[in-house]
Amino acid sequence: MNNLLRYIIGRTLLTIPMIFILLSIIFVVVRVMPGDPVSSMLGGHAPEKVIEQKKEELGLNKPMILQYGNYLLQICRLDLGNSMIFKQRVIDAIREKLPATIELTFFGMLITLLVGVPLGAFAADKRRSAQDYSIRLFGIVIYCIPVYWLGLMLQMIFGIWLDLFPIAGRTGARVFVAGFDWSGLYVLDTIVAKDFTAFKDVIIHLVLPSVTLGLVLSGIFIRLTRANMLDVLKSDYILAAEARGIRHRRVVYKHALLNAFVPILTMMGLQVAILMAGAVLTETTFSWPGMGRLLLERIYLRDYPTIQGVIVVFALIVALVSLVVDIIYALVDPRVRY
Amino acid sequence: MKAMKIILICLATAGLIFFAGNSFAKVTLVYGTTEKVTDMDPANAYDFHTWEIFYNIYQGLMGYPPGKTNLVPGLAESYKVVDDGKGYIFKLKEGIKFSDGTPFDANAVKWSIDRIIRIAGDPSWLVTDFVDSVEVLDKYSVKFNLKNPVAYFPSLVATVPYYPVNPNIYPADKIVQDPAALKGGKLVGLGPYRVAFFKRDQEIALEANPYFYGEKPKNDMVIIRYFADATTMRLALEKGELDFAFKSFNPSDINDLQKSDKIQTIVGQGPYIRYLCFQCKTPPFDNKIVRQGIAAAINRPDIIKKVFLGQNAPLYSMVPMGMWTHTDNFKEVFGDGNIEKSKKLLAQAGFNEDNKLKFEFWYTPSHYGDTEVDMAAVLKAQFEATGVMEVSVKSAEWATYKDNWRNQLMPVYLLGWYPDYIDPDNYTAAFAGTAGSKGNGIYFSDPEWDAMFVEEQKDPNEDNREAIFKKIQQMWTDEVPTAPIFQGTLYMFAQKSINGIMISPTLQFIYAPIEKAE
Amino acid sequence: MKYSPTATLARIISRWTQMGKKYGIEWWILVAGALIIMGVILMAILANLIAPYNPHDQNTGPQLAPPSQDHFMGTDNLQRDVFSRIMFGARTILGVAILAAIISSIVGIAIGLISGYAGGGFDKILSLVMDSIYSFPGLILAIAFAAMLEPGIISITFAVAVIYIPTYFRLVRGQTLTIKEELYVEAARAVGAPGITILAKYIFPNVIATTAVVFTMNVGDAIMIEAALTYLGLGLPPSVVDWGMDLAMGKKFLPSGQWWLITFPGAMISLLAVGFTMLGEGLAEILNPRLLEH
Repeated sequence: MNNLLRYIIGRTLLTIPMIFILLSIIFVVVRVMPGDPVSSMLGGHAPEKVIEQKKEELGLNKPMILQYGNYLLQICRLDLGNSMIFKQRVIDAIREKLPATIELTFFGMLITLLVGVPLGAFAADKRRSAQDYSIRLFGIVIYCIPVYWLGLMLQMIFGIWLDLFPIAGRTGARVFVAGFDWSGLYVLDTIVAKDFTAFKDVIIHLVLPSVTLGLVLSGIFIRLTRANMLDVLKSDYILAAEARGIRHRRVVYKHALLNAFVPILTMMGLQVAILMAGAVLTETTFSWPGMGRLLLERIYLRDYPTIQGVIVVFALIVALVSLVVDIIYALVDPRVRY
Repeated sequence: MKAMKIILICLATAGLIFFAGNSFAKVTLVYGTTEKVTDMDPANAYDFHTWEIFYNIYQGLMGYPPGKTNLVPGLAESYKVVDDGKGYIFKLKEGIKFSDGTPFDANAVKWSIDRIIRIAGDPSWLVTDFVDSVEVLDKYSVKFNLKNPVAYFPSLVATVPYYPVNPNIYPADKIVQDPAALKGGKLVGLGPYRVAFFKRDQEIALEANPYFYGEKPKNDMVIIRYFADATTMRLALEKGELDFAFKSFNPSDINDLQKSDKIQTIVGQGPYIRYLCFQCKTPPFDNKIVRQGIAAAINRPDIIKKVFLGQNAPLYSMVPMGMWTHTDNFKEVFGDGNIEKSKKLLAQAGFNEDNKLKFEFWYTPSHYGDTEVDMAAVLKAQFEATGVMEVSVKSAEWATYKDNWRNQLMPVYLLGWYPDYIDPDNYTAAFAGTAGSKGNGIYFSDPEWDAMFVEEQKDPNEDNREAIFKKIQQMWTDEVPTAPIFQGTLYMFAQKSINGIMISPTLQFIYAPIEKAE
Repeated sequence: MKYSPTATLARIISRWTQMGKKYGIEWWILVAGALIIMGVILMAILANLIAPYNPHDQNTGPQLAPPSQDHFMGTDNLQRDVFSRIMFGARTILGVAILAAIISSIVGIAIGLISGYAGGGFDKILSLVMDSIYSFPGLILAIAFAAMLEPGIISITFAVAVIYIPTYFRLVRGQTLTIKEELYVEAARAVGAPGITILAKYIFPNVIATTAVVFTMNVGDAIMIEAALTYLGLGLPPSVVDWGMDLAMGKKFLPSGQWWLITFPGAMISLLAVGFTMLGEGLAEILNPRLLEH
């Protein structure tokens, strides 16, 4: 136990410098952007004097070091500043959009696991067979398909030609969001509000985007699961289980898979990063009102604080998820801590 | 048991009738658009769509009847011009209240105008450029003291910055971005609708304002749904999820929807213009012959066919078609794709096949829609078809683009314009008058032109103003500070069951007369 | 000796079959990948000669025409030939991806070697920085970089290059740490060989094999990132022909039924990425069967 605690504390402390470094990189990247946000804010007509005044107000004339210090301090207070363009607190803008991305990422991950893991296990089981190679090929090809292109193809086939699913947004045009919007996670909200028409509507809007995101990423999981399964299937206790007469199917899909799954879990941290990147592209294709779209919109507007805020939140999420995953792994696998 | 059954059936039927009855009571229209709401505040909103919402939740002292371009009294019953055109006294309608009971009177008007001046937001120049001060003469009389006589002042008063807001609700010196930030959490004005719900980038719900002094709208609620892209909006309309949709469709969508028998097309001649600007202080564009030469090479029908699939109309003057005083000067002088003339003019300036005119041509990729890339590509091809120009195309997002024109970094660039008020002055002085030209990055300045602008702004005589504008359009083909390219056609699409949609060149799209036939 | 094309071909095929027998299907995967890549590279290089039309020519035929004999992949709304644009677009995507991968690898390997060998605080800090960048979603960082710089090929290349430096760094540093402890390295140090020599003579050659694999995977990834950035509109002027941009411009014609504008660019991006991935996987299995499991 002592070792475990030490590991957890050590690992948590490690997160801090990592976040710090990311924040610094973000600060530099965003500040160097060409394009003066102040004149865009004030419109093309504003006279020089007014622009200078605004710059003073926003503290853009202070030396970089001071701005940097301010920036770090603000983040500690969880104050991400105000949008330069819309007079809205960045934190509020993010709070509006974050649940949408979380929902998409969650269901995307679900599809990835549901598709990738069983296929990977099956391929490992049938090693060097035609099925194995076709599944591996499928894995490679699907990962190489651009997420947004797959999205467009699915939109075309299932949304337009077959007209089975909607191709954009989280809800239909006639569904009144105000009626149930509470946390922003609409699947949850509609259940809580007992609005089942809206629930069905929300789910059906989730189908194409999460399938798009999930399918593309499943390629990685196919390979991961297969590789880990191959290892596990060689081990002694599997041999023993087979010898004891346990049904082959059970051995593979229950015992082996469970053991193979743990290393997969550790990759989840990295996968979340890839998922979020994929989510940004999926959001643009499906007009999903999430953080990815927010980021792109604000980049066009040169809205420094919001851009910074969004990337900071992404960084925090990634850091948090890898922290949690590493700790879970440590709990589960004693080898890690010693 | 049988009795139970009968009672249950009766209750069920009653329930059905009750609910059915209720469902007829509310007519809700769903309206789709790809535009965005910016600030829910007349002191800072300066975009097409937010103004459209304000036309429906607020009222001005003057206004336009739906679909028409003639000014009529709004909150004001009448007005008098005094002090040789420098003073306007408006007599307000009596007995109107804001929804919280605050009476609407001259104080509210003065307070609102002072607020605009104080906050000095984006559109405030529409007030501060013209108005010196506002006086309350009595409870229902308010006087505007102008800096100079302005012939078109009443049409200025019909613009959003002049709309009175409730002094008890709006903060005196802060811009309101979200209705939730107001006292009471709701945004209420004097118009036929009020805001019931607002979620940025998703939807805004406008319900009929029970306190409105005028005729009730023909529908109970309008929900505006925001779309990130035109394709989705077009599909939603086709599937019946939207009752009508406006701005902006892809050219291919417009063509398809026009052909559809399930959807009705409503077309309006928009006063939206697109044009080429020259940085008149950067050589060789300080030479008007060079500007003329480039303007001659523009082939408008080619652009309209390739980029817009035949929609929109070629424009041959900065004053749009359908507006008083418009003449096709550029067509007479240059025509389209006039390679011969272009080469001749540029040769005069010293440019030929061995010494090509090399320049950077700028566009902005998303502010005017994603057809800009194509437009730049087509124009580049047209310029280079003359054989004496070499064009490198560059782009910058809107924020940087504005920066660039202010800093005179773009020798030739594309721009667009929606009018603030309906008068040829807004299409000419803004680009060729010394102040306006600088503001738009053109930096054209000619005292003769400035004198003419001052003259037409002051002179209330229509014939005199007409003569001046016609002369200016003629002179435009000589100096060419900008070259007009096309005028935007407005397309609105609706289900066949919808009546009452009227688009007018004033771009004041009013929701009240829209009804759904069952 | 007389060299004839058929003889050379026959020799190549027999050598390949030998390798195929030795390494199994992994070899054929590698070959398939390499062939795809060669095909696209050839198309890119010879575009000038074999493309039926100029990709910028706005008068090649009817507007928005479906694939036909004259236009294998149809035309777009500016009346340009899609097939020619695909051929020239290959140059852009390959150019950016390969150049970015080269830059990443040089920088990443260099600092990986130095950091791994030097050790100490410098190494710790650098590792931390690299780990932080590595764990962050690459695309998002690339978007931020691309948006920050002026639109153009150089900016995109830079944006793509930066995000892969940590990959090389980690790989090379890890190997450096291991090799550093080997006996022969200690011996070299004892004799007084300077650090640079040790790095160059002993460590670097051992690192090369695995780096090659990572390089091919890297190019595959870079292709996807380049296409994503241009698709999002973050990068190139219309004078550059690019698959991602054509995809973005073409998608608004989808509901009107003009599928060829997005199908071909998308298919090409996928194909090229698949080619590099297969090459990488095949190479990995053959050079070191255990590598994939890391």
